[in-house]
Amino acid sequence: MWAGTSASELAPAASNAAPAATHALVSALGRPAPAHTAFAEARFLRMLDRPLVVSGELAWLGGDRLQRRVETPRVETATIADGEVTQQRAGKTARTFSLKRAPQLQVLLDSFVALLSGDAARLEQAFAVQHSGDPAGAWTLTLTPRDARVARTVERIVIDGHGGESRCMAMQETDGDLAVDLLGPLAARMPAQPTREALQTLCQSAR
Amino acid sequence: MPERTLSVGRVARILLLLAWLLALAGLAWVVSQRLHVSTDLRSFMPTPTTPDQRLLMEQVGEGPGSRLLLVSISRAGADASDDAQRTAAADPSDVALAALSQGLLTALKTDPRYSQVINGNFDLGALDQNLLPYRYLLSPTLDTQPLDAAYLSDQLQQRLEDLSSPAASLLKPLLPRDPTLEVLKLAQLWAPAKSPQVREGVWFSPQGEALLLVQTVAAGFDPGAQQAVIDGIQRAFHALPGSGQAQLELSGPGYFSVVIGAQTRHQADWIGRVSTVGFILLLLLAYRSVSSLLLSALPIASAALAGIAALTLAYSEVHGITLAFGFTLLGVAQEYPIRVLSHRRAGEDAVHSVRALWPLLLTAIASACIAYLAFYASGVSGLKQLAVFTIVGLLVAGLSTRYMLVYLLPTRVRDVADMPWLARARAWVDRLPRPRWIPALVAVLIVALLALAPAPFWQNNLAALTPLPTAMLQHDARLREALGAPDVRYLLVLQAPTEQGVLALSERLQPKVDALVAAHAVDALELPSRYLPSAALQRQRQSRLPDRGPLQEALNSALQDLPFRAELFAPFVEDVEAARRLPPLTPQRYAQSPLGQRLASMLVERDGHWLGLGTVSGVHDVAALQALGTASGGTVRLLDLKAASESLVVDYRTRILQALLAAAGLLVLTISMALRSVRRAWHVLAPMTLATFLVLAVERAMGIEISLFHLVALILAGGLGLHYALFFERDTGDPAEQRRVLHATLVCVLSALLVFGMLAWATIPVLRAIGLTVSLGVVFHFCLSILMAPHVHAAED
Repeated sequence: MWAGTSASELAPAASNAAPAATHALVSALGRPAPAHTAFAEARFLRMLDRPLVVSGELAWLGGDRLQRRVETPRVETATIADGEVTQQRAGKTARTFSLKRAPQLQVLLDSFVALLSGDAARLEQAFAVQHSGDPAGAWTLTLTPRDARVARTVERIVIDGHGGESRCMAMQETDGDLAVDLLGPLAARMPAQPTREALQTLCQSAR
Repeated sequence: MPERTLSVGRVARILLLLAWLLALAGLAWVVSQRLHVSTDLRSFMPTPTTPDQRLLMEQVGEGPGSRLLLVSISRAGADASDDAQRTAAADPSDVALAALSQGLLTALKTDPRYSQVINGNFDLGALDQNLLPYRYLLSPTLDTQPLDAAYLSDQLQQRLEDLSSPAASLLKPLLPRDPTLEVLKLAQLWAPAKSPQVREGVWFSPQGEALLLVQTVAAGFDPGAQQAVIDGIQRAFHALPGSGQAQLELSGPGYFSVVIGAQTRHQADWIGRVSTVGFILLLLLAYRSVSSLLLSALPIASAALAGIAALTLAYSEVHGITLAFGFTLLGVAQEYPIRVLSHRRAGEDAVHSVRALWPLLLTAIASACIAYLAFYASGVSGLKQLAVFTIVGLLVAGLSTRYMLVYLLPTRVRDVADMPWLARARAWVDRLPRPRWIPALVAVLIVALLALAPAPFWQNNLAALTPLPTAMLQHDARLREALGAPDVRYLLVLQAPTEQGVLALSERLQPKVDALVAAHAVDALELPSRYLPSAALQRQRQSRLPDRGPLQEALNSALQDLPFRAELFAPFVEDVEAARRLPPLTPQRYAQSPLGQRLASMLVERDGHWLGLGTVSGVHDVAALQALGTASGGTVRLLDLKAASESLVVDYRTRILQALLAAAGLLVLTISMALRSVRRAWHVLAPMTLATFLVLAVERAMGIEISLFHLVALILAGGLGLHYALFFERDTGDPAEQRRVLHATLVCVLSALLVFGMLAWATIPVLRAIGLTVSLGVVFHFCLSILMAPHVHAAED
C-alpha cells in the first residue's frame, strides 16, 4: 500500500474510525521509557539499483530522545536529542546536524515518541491520523504530516500492528524513496533481497 | 532736548541689538552650512608614531573584531540564570527562539549593511553557488589525497552507509555533485573553532539564549553608522512573528559606542537643563533684571557661534570632542558679563562702569587666550581645533561685552554695593587673618596628599572614563565566551609585500598556530588563509585534479559492486573538469560572497605592503603568542591594542603637559607685564597655582586616577581662578568697589558650582571627572585667592 496506492482505498469500511478508538489504540501502544525494540530497515532509493538493508535496535530513552543503533552491516549509533542528531561510527569522529535539516527524522521522532508514550494528542498534533482495523485486532495507522515544510519531503507514514504491538512502519517520501522498518519479532524476517511488494505482503500478513 | 537724546539713544540701542542679532543669525547660518561634525574618535587622537599605534588607529573601528556584533535572543522576562533545571526534552521555547534566530538571519542576510550573519545553522552552500567548483581548490583534501579509484571507492562506500543512516535526507541532494563531501569539509573548516551548543539547528548559550554573530560593514567606532545598523537589526527582529514574547540583546564594540554616546548625551542634557534653570534663577536673584539677564546671554552665544564658525572656516571637519571640551572651557566667558553687571553703579550707565573695569578684564581675557594658545602649539589636530575655538570664543565674548553689551544694558540699575548683607560679607572677608605661612602650609599639604595617594597616578585607559554597566560587560563576556568570538584586545599581524605573500605567510604559519592551540596557549587563532589559500596552493591542488578520462575510469572502477545508478555522478565529473580550468580564486573575486567579505576584513593594504590580521580568542599565554612573532623575523607580530592605545594616551598627555608648561611660562610673563610688578604677579599666580595642585592632590587622595579630562577641567578651573585672583588682588581703595568685586566673584563661583557641581554627581565618570575637578577648583581658587590677597587699605583704615 505504501508503494503508491492510497491508504484509504485499503479498508474503506473501517477507515476513519472514531477518534476514541484511535485514542484507545495509541494509549494501548504506550510503553514506559526506556523502551527498546529490534528493527530491520530496507530503503528503496532512486539513486540506487537495489535497496539498502540494515538492522539493529531502536530505543526510546524518554522525552524527545531516540536512539537508533545499527548492528549490521556496520555498527553505527545515531542519537536524537535536543533537536540535534548525533551520528557515531566506529573509528570516526561524531557527526552532528540539526533535526531541522532532516524533516524525515522529525517525522520519525514525532510518530515514534507519540506512539511509545501513548500520547494520542501529540500524534494528532503532528499528523492527520487515519485509523483502520479489523475485529481480529490487526490495525493500520496512516499519518500525514500537518507541517507544510515536512510534508514537502514526507508524504506519509504507515504503521501496521496487531493488538498493543506495532510491527511495521513505512515512510513514503515525496520523491518516491521509501523506507520500511520491520519492528520487534518481525525484524528477524527481513528477506536478504527485499522488494517493496514482498515487504508489503509481510506487513499485511501481520495484520 | 533730553527727551530727544533719550529717544535717539533708544533707537540706537534697538538698532545695535538688531544688528547683533542679525550678526548672530548670519554666524548661525554659516555654521549650519559648513559644520561637519566628525564622531570618529581617531581624528581627535595625536598622530600615531609607532607602527603599533598606526595599526591601532586603523584597527579602531575598522578591524574584524570591532565590527562584530554579538546578538542574543531570550524569552521575555526569563531569568537567564535559572535554567539549571532544563530538561532533556526539547523545550518548546527553544523551538520558538530558534525560529526567531533563523528569521533574523534570513532578514539580515540580504541587507548590504551586514557583511556576515551566522547563527550556527551552517548552510551547506556557505560557498556561493557559482563558486562551487572552487571547492576542490579551497579544501585541503587534494594535499594528501588524489582523486583515484581507491579513494573514490572508500568514499562511495561511506556514502552508501550514510544513505542508510539518519543523515540520508541531508546528503541525498549533495551526492551526485559532491560524492566526497568537500562542501561539508569546507563548512567544518569555516565553522568557528569553538562553537556554542547547537539546539534546534541554531546556536544556544548555556543560559538558553539563541545566539547570532553579525559583522557590520560600518566601522565599529562610528556611532552614527552603528546606530543605523543596530536600528536595522532591531527593526528586522520586531517585524518577525512571535518576537513579542522574546527579547533581543546586543553586545560588541559598535553597540557599546552607541550606548555610551547616548548615555553620556542623555545625562549631560538632563544635568544641563537643571543647571541652566538654576543658573537663570541665580542671575535673576543677583541682578533682579530680566532684560540684563537676557542681554548678558548674547556675548556667550556670540562666543560659541563665532568659535564654531572659525573652526568651520579653518577645518573641513570639526571633531565632536573638540566641541564638548570647547564648550566646557568657554565657561570662563560667562564671567565677563557677570563682572560688568556686578560693577555697575547706581545712576551710572554701563559704558562708564566698564571703563574702570576694562584694563583688568582685558588682562584676564588676554592671559586666558595666551594660555590656550599653548594648545595650538601641541601639534595635535584635536587640540589645535580646541585652541582656535576657545581663543576666538573668549575674544568675541570679551570684546562684545565691552563694546556692545554695555551699550544695550538698561540705565537704571541697583548698585549691589548698597546691599547690607554684601557689606557684612565683605567686612567679614576683610577681617579674615591672612598669615604668610598659608602658601607654605598648602604646599606641604599638597606634597603630603600626593605622597600618600594610592597608585597609579595616571588613568591611561580612556575606556575607563566611559565605562559600561557591569551587567553589560558580563553579558558581553558571557556571549563572547559562548560564541568563541575573537578577543578585541589582541591581533596577530602578518606582513608581506603582496596580498598573495600574506596568504602564503599565513599558510606557513598555520602549523605553528595549530600547535599553540593544541598547547592551550590560545583557544583559537583565525588566519586569513583559513578562508582562502594562496594562488600557489590553489594551483598545486588544481594540478592534482585528474583529467576527465582517468577520473571517469577511477569512478567506474570504484562503482563496481556498489548499487549506485550509472551516470548518477555525472555532475561530479563536470565539476572536477570545471575546477581544472578555473583561474585561482582571488580575494577580489571572492569578495562578492559573504565569506569573501569576511576575508576582506582580514587583509589590508598599507604603504605599499599588505597586512593580514589574525583574530585571536581566549588568550592564555601571551608570551607564547609573542614568541610566534620573534621567530618570524618581523613579518609576524602580536598587536596588543590595549597597550598601543594606552601608549597613545600617554603620548597625548605628554603633549598636553608640555602645552601646559608653556602656557604657565607665558602666563607668568603676561601677568607680570600687565601688572608691572613681580610681587603683584605673585599674589595672582601663587593662589592659582597652589589651588590647581591642591585639586590634583585632593583628587589623588580620593583615589582618583588622573585622565585627560581631569587635565582639561583643571585648565578651566585655572582660568576661572586666575580671574578671582586678579580681581581680589586689585586694590582700588574704594570699599564700594571691593564689595562689587566680592559680589561679582560670588556670583561667578556660585554659577560655576551650580553647573559643575551638578556634573560632579553624574554617574558617568567622564562627566564626574569634569564636574568634580572644576567644582573643587572653583572653591579652592576662591578661598586661596582671598586668603592670599593683600589686605585692602580701605579695610585697614
